[in-house]
Amino acid sequence: MESQVKTFLIPNDLCKRAGVAGTWASLENVAVFAYEKRNISQKDEPSHFASNDPSSVFLLRQDVILFHPILRKLVNESNGVFLSVQNVATNKNSDTKFELFKISRQYRSIIRACLENLQDEHTKSHENDEKSMLQNYITIFYSIECIWHLCEILFMDTMQGNFVLSQLLEWVNFHFPEYERNAANMLAENEIGLEEKPEYWDTVLGALLQGRIKLVRSLLKRHSSSDSSAFVLIEQALKSMPTFNGSCGSSLNEFNMQRRHWIMDVQSKIDAKMFSTEKHLDLIMRLTVGEEKAWIEVQDKCDVWYAYLAGWLFFTEPTVKSFELGRFAKRAMTKLRMNEHLRQLDKILLAAMEFDVFQVIKEIQHMYDNGWFVSHLTDLLYHCDRLSDLEKEVSDFSAEKLRESFVIDYGCTLMSHKSLWQVGLTYLDCCPNDGLRVIELILPRIHMETEAKAQKIVREAKNRELTQVVQSVCKVQGMLSMRRGRLGNALSWALKSQDGSFTSFLADKFLKNYLKLGKFDSPDILDDLGSGMLLSDRLIFLGKYYEFHKLYQNGDYKEASTLLISLLASKIIPKYFWYVLLIESIPLLESDELLFSSNATFTIMRCLEEKQTEPELKDKIDILRLALARNLSRALTYEAQNIS
Amino acid sequence: MTSNFSVHVTFVSEKINKIRWRPDSYNDCHFFVTGSVDNTENNLKLWDFCENVDEDDICPFLVHNLPYCGDVTEVKFINSDFFVSSSSSGSVHLTRIIPLYSENTSMKNEIEWSKIHQFKNGDVSPCTSVTVYDSDIVSVGEDGSINLLNAKSSKVLRKLEGADSSSIQCVIFLKHNEILTSNLRGQMKIWDLKQQNNKPVSTFMMSGDHLTPTCLTYHPTQRHIVLTGDDLGALTTWDLRQHNYPINVLNAHEGAISEIQFNSEYPDQLFSCSSAGEIWNWNIKGDTTPTLLSNNIESNVWLAPEVKNKLEVFTLMPALGKPINSLDLNRNKVICGSDNEAIYLINNNK
Amino acid sequence: MCEAQEINAEHKDLIHDVAYDYYGRRMATCSSDHYVKVWDQNSEGKWILTSSWKAHSGSVWKVTWAHPEFGQVLATSSFDRTAAVWEEIVGELPGPGERGTRHWVRRTNLVDSRTSVTDVKFGPKSQGLQLATCSAEGTIRIYEAPDVMNLSQWTLQHEIQCKLPCSCLTWNPSLNRLHPQMIAVGSDDPNPTNGGKVFVYEYNENSRRWIKLETISSLVDPVHDIAFSPNLGRSYHVLAVGTKDVKILNLTPVDDEQSAQSGVTKLDIETIAQFEDHNSLVWRVCWNLNGNVLCSTGDDGSVRMFKMNAINSWKPVAVLKGDSAQLSHAQYNSISITNGSTSIPFSQTARYIKLGSISQSRETPWH
Repeated sequence: MESQVKTFLIPNDLCKRAGVAGTWASLENVAVFAYEKRNISQKDEPSHFASNDPSSVFLLRQDVILFHPILRKLVNESNGVFLSVQNVATNKNSDTKFELFKISRQYRSIIRACLENLQDEHTKSHENDEKSMLQNYITIFYSIECIWHLCEILFMDTMQGNFVLSQLLEWVNFHFPEYERNAANMLAENEIGLEEKPEYWDTVLGALLQGRIKLVRSLLKRHSSSDSSAFVLIEQALKSMPTFNGSCGSSLNEFNMQRRHWIMDVQSKIDAKMFSTEKHLDLIMRLTVGEEKAWIEVQDKCDVWYAYLAGWLFFTEPTVKSFELGRFAKRAMTKLRMNEHLRQLDKILLAAMEFDVFQVIKEIQHMYDNGWFVSHLTDLLYHCDRLSDLEKEVSDFSAEKLRESFVIDYGCTLMSHKSLWQVGLTYLDCCPNDGLRVIELILPRIHMETEAKAQKIVREAKNRELTQVVQSVCKVQGMLSMRRGRLGNALSWALKSQDGSFTSFLADKFLKNYLKLGKFDSPDILDDLGSGMLLSDRLIFLGKYYEFHKLYQNGDYKEASTLLISLLASKIIPKYFWYVLLIESIPLLESDELLFSSNATFTIMRCLEEKQTEPELKDKIDILRLALARNLSRALTYEAQNIS
Repeated sequence: MTSNFSVHVTFVSEKINKIRWRPDSYNDCHFFVTGSVDNTENNLKLWDFCENVDEDDICPFLVHNLPYCGDVTEVKFINSDFFVSSSSSGSVHLTRIIPLYSENTSMKNEIEWSKIHQFKNGDVSPCTSVTVYDSDIVSVGEDGSINLLNAKSSKVLRKLEGADSSSIQCVIFLKHNEILTSNLRGQMKIWDLKQQNNKPVSTFMMSGDHLTPTCLTYHPTQRHIVLTGDDLGALTTWDLRQHNYPINVLNAHEGAISEIQFNSEYPDQLFSCSSAGEIWNWNIKGDTTPTLLSNNIESNVWLAPEVKNKLEVFTLMPALGKPINSLDLNRNKVICGSDNEAIYLINNNK
Repeated sequence: MCEAQEINAEHKDLIHDVAYDYYGRRMATCSSDHYVKVWDQNSEGKWILTSSWKAHSGSVWKVTWAHPEFGQVLATSSFDRTAAVWEEIVGELPGPGERGTRHWVRRTNLVDSRTSVTDVKFGPKSQGLQLATCSAEGTIRIYEAPDVMNLSQWTLQHEIQCKLPCSCLTWNPSLNRLHPQMIAVGSDDPNPTNGGKVFVYEYNENSRRWIKLETISSLVDPVHDIAFSPNLGRSYHVLAVGTKDVKILNLTPVDDEQSAQSGVTKLDIETIAQFEDHNSLVWRVCWNLNGNVLCSTGDDGSVRMFKMNAINSWKPVAVLKGDSAQLSHAQYNSISITNGSTSIPFSQTARYIKLGSISQSRETPWH
């Protein structure tokens, strides 16, 4: 796709003098700063820009109009419709085409509601900046509505025999409803002599060019001289004007014949100057027979070329087929001598009439709506199977990729917003090639101010089976809790993150804190470690030791000593904790009740032999040996007595 | 199953974290309050859902907007004029709706208990929830602290500093002196506010490992029956008289349960919403007289062993695909707020 | 349709590098003034300087963040021949209401280089905590912290001699744990007869060594910056090179028998885009998060953006340059990120300047 290069200026003198460098700051933001490349082979000395005038970093962000509150409604509401498109597309059946056509109208009604909201706000607003901003948005979305409507008629509607005119007139009428509205107002007054009103003839002509023959007749009947012969004649002529009902076959020929007769009849009346008494009537009749001069006369009265086109086709080519539209459109533009100064909107509409879908998409991607239009329309056209032809015409082109690239861009734009990130996710979900990878890159980078948000992100990651993202987010939360001095909570997150080394690290912290303070941090968490304990040996040790500690404190010495022996026999005791276990065995060894069997005592003795060089044991080693010896003798005596 | 509900959607350009009807002595609420989340500038909003009988198109009318510092994490009405809200910036607010019945109804902050939740390193701790009992207020936060407040005093009456070593996420009053909290780790704790030792009276675990309760509520007529929703979408019933294990576990929603609420007038009706965008109405099957049932302690259906077979579920509207964060009901009108930046009014036209 | 927030960086000389953390909420800057500064974005959107310290005794060339899973960790490289790893420490729990004091502690000083350390980058987090440096004497060093919770212990795992002075390096950020680790290094050696200036290395599990896969012989001009694109699960790797122009290369592993036998990947290298828009040397290249927009810095004093479109071709989309025009007051547009409670003074709110632009009437989104 073509693109144009736009230049942005950073209003900073230093940036101007030194030049700038840029780096990405986040998903959508770029940071720019004054920069001069230093050659490392140079002497390291202050640059000639060094001064007390400090340099600045400029954080640039795109002004995303979709984040305006009114447009956020459009973003959210259209998201629902987008999701139903995907639904319809995955459950294809014979009705799919019609379903998609209905969906297109839903999109348009959302745009319409948005335009109405913008209008209301524009009317209410008293601030000039805001007013012009809103006016801008209105212009953008008005164009979008207009293009969408035409694309819907040409690319999605299932017209019989490709006869496009009635839809085309409807389209013009929808976007220029004032003639119909004026006419309705005038007619509602129930008076004769409407020609007194200054807008009377404009309204009559306007209605005529939109093919509203009945309306024209009603208006003419309210003219004060509607009884005059010219008026009676025109009423008869208009009443008998054959209209095309859109079906083909024999009735088409019949219609064409009737029309030729009708034109001949009217032309003869014009030639006989039967309307010349009233110049407006004369003009009307000359228009209806397609007289070149008459159409030149009215071309300034037309709001836009496509209104002119539709009117002209109505009277001269009523059976025009959609694929002929481009040719007539070009001719109309030449007539109106506007080829030189086509607006963007004109170019897009022309491209649509020429059935150049690729060109339409190329053009609309540059609209100021941050990709809302191009992504939704391309998606819909893709699912209507309107892009597959392009694959043959354009080399290297893939309709699926085109759709996906727009949807990804749009999804990413929403992902950058504090509130709309979930909406963004649903777009990325609908990108089968890269969507999930992009989510994997972006989702964990969403800033989490609260655990509630972290949990939402974890949930979204789990829904997409992005286990690494889940673990990473939980780990980061754990690190954060640790920084905040909340070890228990850090452990809760570490368990959720399934990170063995992190839980080991935290378990060490718990144990070391215990050594320092003589009591356990966060005992409530340690109470309920459950199977989460199995994540790391260190955590198992912490859990088991804490259990021992509790048993001991509760006076359950028998169980405590059993646990102690199993701990000593295990290979999971941290080096720095050996001496604690050994010293804590002393009171149990010396207890009145015999707690350790001879085997158990040997286990302790073996451990002591291994660890006797531990400096912390130095003072206690004699007492421990003595206690062990005494306990051993007690145990052996007891065991000997109980053997028989 | 779907029933005869009419749904009115209003897009509000911000995600709604909490939504509450303003209680009304005539039981005919049309005012409600919303609290936003994830917005560049969050707020509390007072809305009027005047129903126009003639018009099909009913939409809420914004009465007043009160800017709010941080995400609104809870809103609880004390009475029709006062409500309490909690913030992710660690503060609790008491807000008044003034004047009572006039054209220019507005909201005013009466008391701000500013930053009463904070981490030891000075970081702001979100206040995750708040609960009320008459004028008593209890707030809990990620800092694991519990604060006792009263609507008549701007002081913190009592602070249980670091009462829980995990983040506390939910809190409800069980009695005037007793609260139930749940934490990130899935532990539920009962605290006697009269005891001075900063220790829970009892602690019990959610079934299964690592389940985090996401909401708590008690049965309207039997407060010892507590229901919890969790992050896997299950509803668990507890009888606090024997609370070491859950009485019932119902696998319900697709996502985390955001809120559950009994219909206080018809305790056999329960409403729930979830992060998968579902909103459900639970009813007891059959034509048993509801009032009789719920007053009979032994036959409370939530304690029945085969509770699953005794309930039927209605979906109030098709699943939204984005989390429904909050719901509230009044008579036959349910409102809910969602992450798709919309609020919904669901009329049950039975 | 682009706006900028100015953050007065308070450095006494030009900034050499700016790096944003994983979330884009913290910013680190380094300068010729030997200082490193860290900025935090508050909830109102304003950037607040939270730390500033003299990090080196020479110009600080590069600064980079580690993944937040490892905590708040920075690495810097300097003219003073060292690279350093820094960790932010929250002071021991002050009284309630006080904000904890934060400061950055030098966890390690990597002094193995005999010349200026020109670049420093953390490896992909799936491989634990690894750090690569390169230096003017032409050595690439890979360090590792075997215990990721202990940042003061780093071991020098590998030293790779590159023969030419190194100016820049980049890790392949592949999301795929099965891909062998890959590093590309650029040299700014000015002599074209010394051959290719970009070298690609891969870690070989069997030999536990880094093996040179390729010297990209088509790039004989000095290379100033190099960056692998985020990999979206593609089978090939995309590399951006800043040399006398901007180049984008595809590196495609070739599945042939030879590479299967040797266990050494063979790369097929293809230049897929080349931009001379700067009309001068290119100093820096930088990818956006999902790798579809490249941002380059040139000696013409401008920053340029290139975007990949749906048919995989790259196009320039935007230019950013300095403009001496002074701001009129009206151009300042204080955006409505004001806080709800009235206690927040105005100065706390973020101010944005609408950027002037020259070009067509039509907008090209540059993101």
